[in-house]
Amino acid sequence: MSKWSTLLSRSFLESNARERALGLVDDGTFTELVGPFDRRTSPHLETLGEAVEFDDGIVTGIGKIGKTPVFVISQEGRFIGGAVGEVGGAKMVGTIKAAIDFADRIAKDYPNATDEEKPIVAISFETGGVRLHEANAGLLAHAEVMDQLQKARHKVPVIALIGSKVGCFGGMGFVAAATDVIVMSEFGRLGLTGPEVIEQEMGKDEFDSADRALVYRTTGGRHKYVMGDCNFLVEDTIAAFRAQLAELAKLPREKFEELRRIGSEVLVAKQLKGVALAAEMQPKDSRDVWVHAGNPDPVSLALAPVADFRAQAKRLAL
Amino acid sequence: MDTLIGQGRTAIGLICDPDSFVENTVGAKSFDDPSFGPGAVVGTAKLDGKTVTVIANDADAFNEKFPVVYAGIIGMEEGYKMAQAVYASIEADKAESKANKRALVLVVDTPGNGPGKVEEIFGMNKATGAYQLALAEARLAGHPIVAMVIGRAISGAFLCHGLQADHILSLDSKFGTMIHVMPLTSISRIVKKDIEILEKLAEGNPVFAAGPRFFSKLGGVEEIVTEIDGMRDAVIRHVAAVRAAKVAGTDGETTGPWGRGALGAERAGRAVRPEVIALLQSELAQVASRYLPGAN
Repeated sequence: MSKWSTLLSRSFLESNARERALGLVDDGTFTELVGPFDRRTSPHLETLGEAVEFDDGIVTGIGKIGKTPVFVISQEGRFIGGAVGEVGGAKMVGTIKAAIDFADRIAKDYPNATDEEKPIVAISFETGGVRLHEANAGLLAHAEVMDQLQKARHKVPVIALIGSKVGCFGGMGFVAAATDVIVMSEFGRLGLTGPEVIEQEMGKDEFDSADRALVYRTTGGRHKYVMGDCNFLVEDTIAAFRAQLAELAKLPREKFEELRRIGSEVLVAKQLKGVALAAEMQPKDSRDVWVHAGNPDPVSLALAPVADFRAQAKRLAL
Repeated sequence: MDTLIGQGRTAIGLICDPDSFVENTVGAKSFDDPSFGPGAVVGTAKLDGKTVTVIANDADAFNEKFPVVYAGIIGMEEGYKMAQAVYASIEADKAESKANKRALVLVVDTPGNGPGKVEEIFGMNKATGAYQLALAEARLAGHPIVAMVIGRAISGAFLCHGLQADHILSLDSKFGTMIHVMPLTSISRIVKKDIEILEKLAEGNPVFAAGPRFFSKLGGVEEIVTEIDGMRDAVIRHVAAVRAAKVAGTDGETTGPWGRGALGAERAGRAVRPEVIALLQSELAQVASRYLPGAN
């Protein structure tokens, strides 16, 4: 394991789940919960005679950024694509619930605590959703995570970080959509249906899953930024994700509702304007929507360095 | 009648009081545009004399604007329409006590979420996420929510329409009901194990097998209803039980996704989950002081 200071400049994309977790919080503050030494492996993979991991492909724990306790969930794409099973799902659900309980405890025992001293949850997504080897348990875990996200609202901000190789798809695609804030890098991808499945449904002419540029144009961080589906687009370093997280940790807690894309009747009405636009435009490519949003030269914009992109890109107004 | 697959409206008629269902109105909200989210059926009915919101799928509808939406698929419009029906229910009863908040009955028969390019460009994940958050909000606000699986409850679409309910009931698989992420044949191909081996393993371990019986063992289905004409009584009974739990304040631990976790342990299908959560809590307790306000 690298020293903490050297982790920061590392590519978020190239790092593994534990490096991301360690680098996101302050040096020496991370305590892993149900870590690999506990050896809580998947009994179902074992039943099938498959290889197991001691952390079941997900790192969960608590650290600090400044004064803020940060509950971290970091999925590992190198183990069965980051897919969620019973153990990993329970670690995820248990961590969000622990953050809510922790916030309740602080509210009760430390009535003068500042917002900065109250917990947040950071989830680094790297997953296609349900682990098929234990599909039913994985599916039920997804529903539990959604339930915890609603319970966390107005109490514990939940921040999605998406900049991993696998991206965030399947059931975890809507879990991410349901968080308070989404931070992506340009290499992060967010959606529901993965490219291969769309190709299968619509045919290769309509959607060629091998066309990497098309895949990124449809679900990548830059597109999601233009759509307003991710709140912040950052450089592909652990330091950049960490800096965004640190800034959010200081935000007054009531401000997080304003960052949501969904979660109220008003927001549903707003999203429906986007759906009406989709019906009207029937875009063949995401770039059609970029142009509609006020970006006349989407090709150059897509190639601009991230900082320039952020300065220049017009986001879809709904 | 040997199946209700594709017959959401028929099922509404069988569950609710005769001729009580009024489609497209929930509280103060009306859905006037027939071309909006046609795959989703929303409205208000009476169940045992009490007002309920009903949300179902229409397998015969085709969404002209979004051609991936047919056969009961939940597309973007459908997901948001369902969410609107939930928010309208919350709004209509916001002054009511938990004893009187209207129940939501979810009639489940959906094969999936809209899998298209336009859907991904505009964010299908937000529509299904929005509906789930709305259901969770209604459940936590005190509305009893009971899902009745009458046909297909497949993967993400079941997460969207069903798995946020307080209680989930399913017709027996003899009526063709399907609850799964993928059929065992597909799982067999992906995990590279013979179907015969998987079928044998599934007898002792329900986590990858398809069907209501296996979900029931995992706590994912509260009750399997063995006859179609037993649905109405079962839904009435479960709405009453959930309402009693909400009035008593015990719903948090016993209903919804979290309550089904406990049920999964009780039925021995998901034994590891509670152990992992308990371990996480005990490990946190040992270090918690380092993260409380004022600690260094």
